[in-house]
Amino acid sequence: MPTILGELASVESKSKWYMDLHVLSKFSLPFSISVAILFVRDPLSALSVVLVAAASCLAAGIPLSALKMYIAVIVSMSTFIVLAFSLFTYIPGRTLYEAVLWSVQAEKGVFEWKIRITDAGLMYSVTFVLRIFAMVLSATLLLATLTDRDLVWGLRSLKLPLGACVAASLFFRGIQMFISDFYTIREAMMARGIDFKRTPLAKRFFLYVNALIPLLSLMITRSFEVSLALESRGISPGSKASSAYHEYLLRRKDYIVMAVSVLLSMAYAVWWWVA
Amino acid sequence: MKAVRVVDVWWKYVGRSDYALKGAGLEVERGEFFALMGHSGAGKTTLALAISGIIPQRIPGEFKGKVEVLGENTLSRDVTELARKVAIVFEDPEIQFVMSTVEDEIVLALEPLGLHRDEIRERIKWSLELVGLSEDFLSRSPLQLSGGEKQRVAIATAIAREPEVLVLDEPTSDLDPVGKDEVVLAIRRLRDELDTTVILIEHEPEHVAEFADRVAVLGSGRVVMEGDPGSVLTRFDKLKENGVYPPDAAEIATKLGLNSNMYRLEEVAQALRGLIKGVRKTEKGGGKQPGEVLLKCLNVHYVYPNGVKALQGASLEVHSGELIALVGPNGSGKTTLAKTICGLLQPTDGRIELLGKRLEEYDRLQLSSLVSYVYQNPDHQIFNKTVYEEVAFGLRLRRLPEGEIRKRVEEALKLFGLTGLEGEHPFFLSKGEKRRLALASVYALNPKILIVDEPTTGQDMKFGETLALMLRKLADEGKAVVVITHSVPLFARYADRFVVMRKGTVIADGPPREVMLSKSAEEGKLVMPQSLRLYLKLGLDPSLAPLSVEEFLKTVVV
Repeated sequence: MPTILGELASVESKSKWYMDLHVLSKFSLPFSISVAILFVRDPLSALSVVLVAAASCLAAGIPLSALKMYIAVIVSMSTFIVLAFSLFTYIPGRTLYEAVLWSVQAEKGVFEWKIRITDAGLMYSVTFVLRIFAMVLSATLLLATLTDRDLVWGLRSLKLPLGACVAASLFFRGIQMFISDFYTIREAMMARGIDFKRTPLAKRFFLYVNALIPLLSLMITRSFEVSLALESRGISPGSKASSAYHEYLLRRKDYIVMAVSVLLSMAYAVWWWVA
Repeated sequence: MKAVRVVDVWWKYVGRSDYALKGAGLEVERGEFFALMGHSGAGKTTLALAISGIIPQRIPGEFKGKVEVLGENTLSRDVTELARKVAIVFEDPEIQFVMSTVEDEIVLALEPLGLHRDEIRERIKWSLELVGLSEDFLSRSPLQLSGGEKQRVAIATAIAREPEVLVLDEPTSDLDPVGKDEVVLAIRRLRDELDTTVILIEHEPEHVAEFADRVAVLGSGRVVMEGDPGSVLTRFDKLKENGVYPPDAAEIATKLGLNSNMYRLEEVAQALRGLIKGVRKTEKGGGKQPGEVLLKCLNVHYVYPNGVKALQGASLEVHSGELIALVGPNGSGKTTLAKTICGLLQPTDGRIELLGKRLEEYDRLQLSSLVSYVYQNPDHQIFNKTVYEEVAFGLRLRRLPEGEIRKRVEEALKLFGLTGLEGEHPFFLSKGEKRRLALASVYALNPKILIVDEPTTGQDMKFGETLALMLRKLADEGKAVVVITHSVPLFARYADRFVVMRKGTVIADGPPREVMLSKSAEEGKLVMPQSLRLYLKLGLDPSLAPLSVEEFLKTVVV
């Protein structure tokens, strides 16, 4: 069963042990890492969260090479953060470099736009970059281990209405279909003579807007057909059903993972409190 | 008590000017295997939805008349309650799946019945077994199954609820020959092992002939013929008038003056055995000289990024003025080969030459002007706001003068019977019109090679015949037309060549008759025309084998 990230980017957990966990356990670990990120306020603690997140990914059987696909995003965001904290925001600290970019003599004195790089600003930037990195890793941990089946049966075990659970499942199917249809339509445009590589950006944009017509047409037709298929099986938004078939019980390993998750969050909360 | 009683039902969808059902009426006995035939748009699916109560309870529209299921008016019960008695399997197996595993899919159908876990497990096992699937399928994603497997899972999901009435809405029409065989086998088992009332909506006369106890033909919203298969399937003129084609065997039996109620291949063969005096050589066509070579595929390979080897050394030549049927089971590489010819996929090995030049030497615009591709689902291809704009799109891209564009658009619309619809939004066209629009929009580019991907899938035989005639005409005008198709009996009568693919290579290439009589026909899972099968069953000279009823009657002397 492919995971959410597996379907979108072919990245998924290789650990049978981890994949066999209850959905709550699979959710708790990335959630605790996200909570830990909130308590981080210096490069050291941020680095430790990154290491914990990376170790969790490895333990869950997710190859860290998956990070390759995020490199462009991480690098551009890091650059933006470093520039923002170094050049446009003054964070009090020991000044390492200072320059006046623009100076205007006004009635109430001199207005200056300065670049002032401080040691605190740099530390702040590094912490931020590490926090983003940790967030990327925790999101990867969640999406590369969670299947849509996990989510749907997780919702069922929470006694949510059958209609809501079916809607959640259809949402994931809808995404797959939408992506697949989009690529087919794009290919059909190419078959008519459009060379997307050579088409100017503005024209390309309008072509993609045009693609919305068949995409919407397909979506409407399919939604109608799916709703008919569901109705014919006696499933409507208000349908009730027992969720007795799937024994979705927590096992010892689930308790262990959840306990580790809680301890992790608590440890960072204490670190934050003490520091 | 009747299983189903439909009394003078009228139904009009909201926003439509005409009624989809116009006084439809029929009765189905309990335990009966009832077949419903009719052309596309005759109202077959609408009638199925009325039997399930979805019409008028869930779909807005104007309803008159009465539908009773097992003695109860469908208006007196909610659809969810009716669903316990009536199950429907739709034409497109994929659209019926909601959950991510086969197990969950069947469970979803059973949980609303409030059954115990053990009972659910029992029913899952039983229903899968009945359609010929093992328990290994339980953990598989329905979307990753083959067409036949998907449809069998859909049938298993329906029968697991143990409905008293099972409606199968064209369960084989979207499938390749292998899938069709699998589903037909499953239906055979349903017929033999269940006492459920089955209503089979079907285009294939042979399936109806095999399974049905009784048949009704729906024509433009009302039942125009009804009776036992012998009395319905042998009234050819009336059947054809209503877009239904009779089995070849029935037509042959009647035209040769045998018992007029014969419609099964076996019984006609049996009756003919003692009567045949011989065979005569007739002019069968197929001797057409090929035109100039337009395209050469030389040992083409293609491996998809996920490692699937779709093409493994496919070679092919395409000549002008030829209608080629590219046939073979799903996954044999037909579409991949077509896409490499159009330059939409770059071969991982091998060479493709178009008009003596390597394909890579053409830019996208040049290539698409020479080779055009029509997608299986027209909804993937149509993206303009009016029919006129859709056909003009490719011409505008090539910066043709407005006068020339107008001329070409009008010509294309006329050829494909779309004149008068210029200002219509393509979204509101019928499925058949959309297909013709997709064809018109690439025809207007005046390509030398036209590739059409499964144009007859899910369409009735009348549409298939019209389309095959259109494509034949294009080939006769000098274009090379390559049709990817599973409709072997249809294109056996129109194509100049059959190219059979299997496992990424071309295993046979030649005139239809020759290919169908070769070993490759079996390897490529080709479904032969019934007249040819009847002829071979009679043990007559294979070199004179007929491909149609007309050829059979000319060849066989009785």
